[in-house]
Formats: sequence, C-alpha cells, structure tokens
Amino acid sequence: MSDTGFKAGLRRELRQLGSRRMYILCMIVVPIGMALFFLSLLSEGLPMKAPTAIVDLDHSELSRTIGRNLASQQLLDVSYDAESYDAAMEKVRRGEIFGFFLIPPHFQRDALSGRRPSLEYYTNLTYFIPGSLSFKGFKTQAVMTSGGLMRTTLVSLGMDADEVNSMMQPVIIDINALNNPWLNYNIYLAPSFVMASLALMIMLVTVFSITGEIKRGTSPQWLATCRGRLSTALLTKLLPQTAIFMAVGLFIVWLFFYYEHFPMNGSIWAIAGATLLMVVACQAFAVFVCSAVPNPRLAYSLCALFGILTFSFTGFSFPVPSMYGAIAIFSYTAPVRYWFLIYINEGLNGVDLYYSRYYFAALLLFPLLCWVLFPRLKKALLNPVYVP
Amino acid sequence: MNIFTRIGNWLGSAAAVMASEFRAVFHDAGALLFFVALPLFYPVVYTLIYNPEVVRQIPVAVVDDSRTAESRHFVTMASASPSIKIYDYCSDMGEARELMAAGDVYGIMYIPRRYASDLANGVQTNVEFYSDMSLLLRYRTFVAALTDLQIKIASEVSGERLAAAGMESYLTGDSPLPVQSNSNMLGDVEQGFASFVIPGIVVLILQQSMLLGIALLGGSRRERRGRALPEPDLADRAGAGARVWGRAMCYVSIYIAATIYCLHFVPEMFNLPHSGSPVDYLLFIFPELLAAAFLGQALVGLMKERESCFLILVISSVLFLFLSGLTWPRYAMPDFWLWLSDCIPSTWAIEGFIRINSNNATLAENSHPYIMLWILTAVYMIAAIVVTRFVDPRREAVKS
Repeated sequence: MSDTGFKAGLRRELRQLGSRRMYILCMIVVPIGMALFFLSLLSEGLPMKAPTAIVDLDHSELSRTIGRNLASQQLLDVSYDAESYDAAMEKVRRGEIFGFFLIPPHFQRDALSGRRPSLEYYTNLTYFIPGSLSFKGFKTQAVMTSGGLMRTTLVSLGMDADEVNSMMQPVIIDINALNNPWLNYNIYLAPSFVMASLALMIMLVTVFSITGEIKRGTSPQWLATCRGRLSTALLTKLLPQTAIFMAVGLFIVWLFFYYEHFPMNGSIWAIAGATLLMVVACQAFAVFVCSAVPNPRLAYSLCALFGILTFSFTGFSFPVPSMYGAIAIFSYTAPVRYWFLIYINEGLNGVDLYYSRYYFAALLLFPLLCWVLFPRLKKALLNPVYVP
Repeated sequence: MNIFTRIGNWLGSAAAVMASEFRAVFHDAGALLFFVALPLFYPVVYTLIYNPEVVRQIPVAVVDDSRTAESRHFVTMASASPSIKIYDYCSDMGEARELMAAGDVYGIMYIPRRYASDLANGVQTNVEFYSDMSLLLRYRTFVAALTDLQIKIASEVSGERLAAAGMESYLTGDSPLPVQSNSNMLGDVEQGFASFVIPGIVVLILQQSMLLGIALLGGSRRERRGRALPEPDLADRAGAGARVWGRAMCYVSIYIAATIYCLHFVPEMFNLPHSGSPVDYLLFIFPELLAAAFLGQALVGLMKERESCFLILVISSVLFLFLSGLTWPRYAMPDFWLWLSDCIPSTWAIEGFIRINSNNATLAENSHPYIMLWILTAVYMIAAIVVTRFVDPRREAVKS
C-alpha cells in the first residue's frame, strides 16, 4: 500500500488542510452560513402586508366600506390614505408603497345609478413579489366590490340569492398548489440557492487546492509524493475535501428536511445520495477546468463565472424551457441542476425514483468525464508556470 | 509648512498614487478582466438568460370527465390563453399524474362529470386545477390565466342568463358588471422577468466587479510585500489617506464608461424599462461607485493573497442580491438581515436606481437612499484608511 504513495499523499494533504484557515472558512463556514442565511431571511415564507395606499376621492359610505375591506386583506397593509392620484404616485416613486387603489369621485352615485364607474388600481412591478401580491389583493377587492353590488341589485330586483351566486360565478376554478399550498418561498428558494452556493464553493476550493500547487511551484513535489501517479495525487488531495463537503451537504439536507420540515414526499435517501454525487460531480467539474486551463487566474475565473451563472441559467426562478435554446443548453452542464431536479421529484413531488434515473446518471457522468484531460493536467503539474 | 503647502503635497501624492494604480491596473490582465470585461459582458449574458421575459405556453394535461360540448368549450377557452398549452387529454387522473411526474406537463385540469349538468341547472360548479410548484413563476402564470378565464366564463354565462331573465338592461357594455375595474402596471408594464431583474443586476455587477478587482490588486500587493523594494517613489511614500483616495479616484474614473454602458446602453439595447433622467441616475450612482471603491479597499484586509478574492468575494454577490430586497422585500426581512442590508451600498443603489430608471422618479424623491449611500461612503472611507495603514503602510526611503 505504501508504495503507491497513497498514504504519503493523504498525509501531505491533511497537513495542508489543517494549516490554512481559508479551507475551514470556505468548506464549512460559508456553505452552512448561506444555508442559515436563506432559511432565516425567508423565514416568513410568504411576505404578507405589502405597504400600499388607498386614494378615496368619493368619500361615500360605499367607498369607506371598500377601504375597510381592503385594509382587512391579509396581503395588504394599507398604510397611507393619500389625498390624490399625484400624492399616491409620489409615494410609489419614493418607494414608500408598492401600489394603490383609487376610488373615483362620485363612485357611489354612479354605481347605484348604473353609470358603470371604474375602480382603478396601480401596482409597481419593479419589485416582483410585493408587486404581484398587492396586485392580487387589489384585484380580489375590485372583483368583490363589483360582484357584491351586482348581487345586491339583482336580489333587490327579486332574483333568488343562490341563483345570483351561481350566475355571478358559474364556474369556480380551484387552483391547488401541489405540495406547497402555503406558497412558501423558503421551500421554493432555499434548497436550490443553498445547494448552488455549496456547488460554487466546492468548485472554487478544488481550484484553490490544485492551482495553489502550481502557483507555489510545489506541484512536481506533490506528484512525486504520490509516485508520479496523477490519479493517486488527485484522489489523496480531493478525498479529504470530498468527505468534508459531503458532511456539510448532508448537514444542509438535515437542516431542510428535519429541522425546517420542508416537504419530503419521497425518499430522503435519494436526496442524500444526490447530494453526495453532486459533491463529487462539482469536484470533477473543477478538475476538468483546471486541466483545460492549468492557470490559476483562468481556472478561478471560469469556475466563478460558471458558478455564479448557475444561479440563473439552471432555472431556479425562470424556467429553462422558456429560455433561448443556446442558453438553456448550459443548464445541462451544471451538476446542481440535476440535484435541483432530483429534489423537485423526490422531495417536493414524491414521484417514483424511476423518473429521476437520467438525473442520477448525469451526476455520475461528471467524474467519468474528467479523466479525458488528465495528460494535459499532468504536463502542467510537472512544469508549473505561474502567470499572475 | 503652511496649510496650502500641506494640501498641495497631499494632492500631489494622491495624484501619484492614482497614476501608479492606473499602471498597476493596465499591467494586470486579471484586474482588467474584472474592471472591463465583467461589466461589459455580464449584463449581456444575464439579459439573454431572462430576455424571453414571460413564461408562455406551459403544457397542461386535461382530464375531462364531463365529455360534453360545454366542457370542450371550457378547454378551448383555456387554450386560448397565451400562458396555457393543452398538451394532451388523459382518460383519468392517474395517467395525467404520470405525465406530470415525467415532466411533460406542469399542470392538470380536471373537469368533473357534473360540469355540463350543473351549468344547465344553474348550480355553481367547480373545476380543479393542480399546479406543479417547482417554480413559483409558473404557478403565478397559471393563477393569472385561470382567474381571467373564470371571469370570462362568468360574464359569458351571466350575460346569457340575464338575457333569458329579461334583464338585458344590464348588458349595455361588454360586461354585465355594475362596476368596472382597471389594473395599471407601473414600472415593469409587461411584467417581464428581465425588465424586473436586470436594472438591479447591472448595479450589483458594477459593485461586485469593482470589489473583485480591488481585492485582486490589493491581495497581489500584499503578496509582494516581502519582496525587495526598489527606490520608493512619491506614491510609495504617500500616507494612508492619500493612498486610499488616489486609488479610489483611479477605480471610479475607470468605471465611468462601464457605468454609462450598464445603466444607459444595456436597458436601451434590450428594450428594458428606461425612463429616468440620465443626470439623475448618474448623479445618484456616483456615491455608490465611491462607496464600492472604499469598501473594496477595506476588504483588502481579508485578502492575504491574489486569489483570495475569488474564494471570499464571489459568493457575496448572491448574499448582496438577496439583501438588496430585489427578490425578497425589505419589509419582510428579519431585523438582523435588515440591518446588514442597510450596510451594503448596493442595497441603496439598486433601490434608487430602479426607481429612477423604471418608475421615472427623480433624485429628490430618492433622497433617503442617496443620503444612505453617502453615509456608507464616509464609513467605508474611514475603514479603508484604517486597513490601508495596517496592510499597506507608507514606505520611507531607507536612510543610510
């Protein structure tokens, strides 16, 4: 065993891991810190009470009722009573409110005399979540007001109340949000973003430890320790890191599904397995990059660029099928994309493992493919050139 | 020495630092990558990712247990919505669930057996829709489309029934409702994803690329500190204040072109919201550049070597994006994160720029973020001077 250089390589690497605080920071503190950050930032789940305003230009009994109903909505915090459209608009531009509901002058008179006045609501969509939530609140209020008035009129004309109800809303479409009925943003955002953060740190630390040898000119010595075998050298260098990252990944999975009780409708083992495979896949990705460009700056830049862009092009917020084809194709090159798809299938939706088979296969493909450029990496390690 | 000579000397050494920093930047391919290539290409890449703007034609499976002309009419109306594409009819829910598990559809529409008879009997009827929740954007798109569908069907049916009951007087307009309502979208009128996210992202790119570049330069400088010193020139002998200001002036002037490109040309090129006055948003963004230039120099305290910036700073972009309130509103943040969010220049810069750019607000209306940016500028300037005094002290000529 000792003549393969495995033990010697491992010893050398463990010494290095222990000697740099940077490793502890990047491998443990940052990924777990990001997990705690997302979980606590989004702890409210769905942000209720978007600050909004009402502009009541009618001052009638009816308009005051509308105002009261609006204020009682869970989604809205009607924090201002603006005296005019311009005043409310200025509050929007100042960012004090995300929208307002306007009741025009003579609203009650016009509504009761059949002149069809119009309720206007304004939502600022430059901020998506508060914008769309206040839109929803306003729209509900507008529909309720108009329906309520019509109901009153028709009933007073002698129609049966049930008949009126079924006529006003003959078909109700119940929209069931599968497995996340609370529309909880934490469940939706935290797993993908935290894992993508972990993936980014795995790639950067791998680049750090491999190109660091090139930078310090110690790479020939590193290879020599491992009897000149690149596979032993990489294995001994990356194995301790693999173990730490896997432990961190599993801890994060525990945080999600046992501490925070995120929906787990399938097998936790599938998610844990996907996490372990993703760690190795990300390391393989970084080894591949280091082999392709054995220059610290370029390897870091590529991994950082790629790692940051994965947050976007892997479709955590904007769906991949809606992207341009030339961009969507990159989503398949990110290991964390497959973790995300497995999490959706196994955690959120709890479908049969069969449907995730390609995603597991894809994760396995990364370590298999990184061998391709080994000769190139070996050459670079034997003749280390550091270009700052 | 009188005060004017002192000021003159200080300005002279700051200018010397600025000149020597320019030389350092233009001889460092890594710094140029951050300062020039990143602000040039990242906004384009990001916009291309989100440029389809809206989600359309989401595949949906239909389980129609009613199998009547009425239920077919319902499905036809649903498929008329640009958001929904009827992928297939399924014979039962099991079949539809399989399509969803395979990722072929993201929604299932179930029309019950009673549908047509309920309508005929004037009884309220329910249609069930099941939405996949892997992405909230899809769910949101479904909700908007189905709410419209429900209102459309209601006005169709109630029109017919009112006519049948002899109450046509209610049918003067296109809708029988006594009160109209009108939704007005502000800022991001098309409700597009790129239009929402890119104005914030470009500001963050300006800040993060500058921080990375400064950290790279500072880390390299600290790595070289052990090496033998040539004759110290005016820049080497400058004090911490002159160093910090000279360098900041170098970075800010490099960023003038990138700022105009990111804040003006990127929205123009991609037809994103862009309505504010250039004078307002350029004046507004100036303290953001300055604050970033100082914050970067303060962070050099953490950069022991050239490559540290990658390990420490890259991930902060994700952190700062979420702290900015662009995705998760600030009013819903827990106190600690709100406080941290207050301390990050990009929070205020993004907030103010979006309002000026997308909501056509003025600089005066954004006085609060503007003042916050200046306060952070002052705080980080002091931090940068303290850090520089420790990690990059002035070098006197060795007296022999």
